[in-house]
Amino acid sequence: MIPESPQEQRILIAEYVLGLHAPEQEAEIARWLEQDSEAADLARRWQEHWLDAAALLEPVSLPPQLWKRISRRIEGTSGKRPRLWLQLWQSLTVWRALAASLLVAVALLLGPLRQPAPVYTVILQAPGEAANPGWRVTVSDAGELRLTPLMHGSYPADRSVQFWTLADPALGPRSLGLVEPDHPLVLPARRVGGVQSGQLFELTLEPAGGSPGKRPSGPILFMGRAVAL
Amino acid sequence: MLAVARRFTGDASLAEDALQETFVQVWKHAHRFDCERGSARTWLFGLLRYRLINQHHRARREAFEPLPGDHWADDGGSTPEQCYVEEDQRHRLIDCLQTLRLERRRPILMAYYQGFTYEQIAERLSVPLGTIKSRVRSGLKGLQECLRL
Repeated sequence: MIPESPQEQRILIAEYVLGLHAPEQEAEIARWLEQDSEAADLARRWQEHWLDAAALLEPVSLPPQLWKRISRRIEGTSGKRPRLWLQLWQSLTVWRALAASLLVAVALLLGPLRQPAPVYTVILQAPGEAANPGWRVTVSDAGELRLTPLMHGSYPADRSVQFWTLADPALGPRSLGLVEPDHPLVLPARRVGGVQSGQLFELTLEPAGGSPGKRPSGPILFMGRAVAL
Repeated sequence: MLAVARRFTGDASLAEDALQETFVQVWKHAHRFDCERGSARTWLFGLLRYRLINQHHRARREAFEPLPGDHWADDGGSTPEQCYVEEDQRHRLIDCLQTLRLERRRPILMAYYQGFTYEQIAERLSVPLGTIKSRVRSGLKGLQECLRL
């Protein structure tokens, strides 16, 4: 039973994150958290703190076979060969084809209303503050880039925030222009160029009007790497 | 993540299975990740831990297996104010855990690292269930104050 007292509720959440209760009560608390966003937020904050304790364990190298197992599991091809209908049901290719067909149908129906699906995303975080995302970058399949603020930032009025990307260290960083703090930015594909997994994006604090050179001259405010979706 | 799963289950094979299924779950439900509700790392570890707890992959080993934190001093004398480091948000939990007395800290760490429930901790430490609940709740209350949660 979920207690009435706020203090007891807070301790219950701490206990739940540790998994201290029997399965039946864990399930009851999980249902409560699904309905109470404030309680769920506290649980998430406990979970974030407990990551520090996870970091105290000696890292374990992943057995080479494990990634292969995961890959096979995702593709649904591990184990015995199932019957044809089951193969089709479990086939990622079939589902992809069906999904693509559905997308085409929806696109034809909705036309201009369709938002391009992002194929890359980047969460820009202040250096050393992994739990505090500052901006989100999404890159659509058409190559359009959207930069969206996730928090309110305060920057000196006499400085500019500049957006950079680094695809190839040999070529150096490339400016994607100045950013108006707290406002989203959309860049067309021709301005962005190709994006690849792991590509670095960052926001730096520069003199008014931007860096005097072709490289960032000021401190990094936020940075992150592209992840393929 | 694998280190956490191994410590939790006490079994390399079970740990790898749990990690595998967690990543399959991530693959299937990546769209449910909302960066505004926490970091990707928190989400990943949360999924893994939820799976471990709910599949009863709890450690079956001895209670006195060495745990991280066993070597910390048992002074228990610091106040939450002393342990709170305003400028450095990282590692605050570790600082706060070190302020707890061993009798409160160890059952909490047994729950985190080995996945023991209240009943299992009481049984393994040969301490009455009520006493263990009281110690853990006092410890969690101390952590809560220290972490400003």
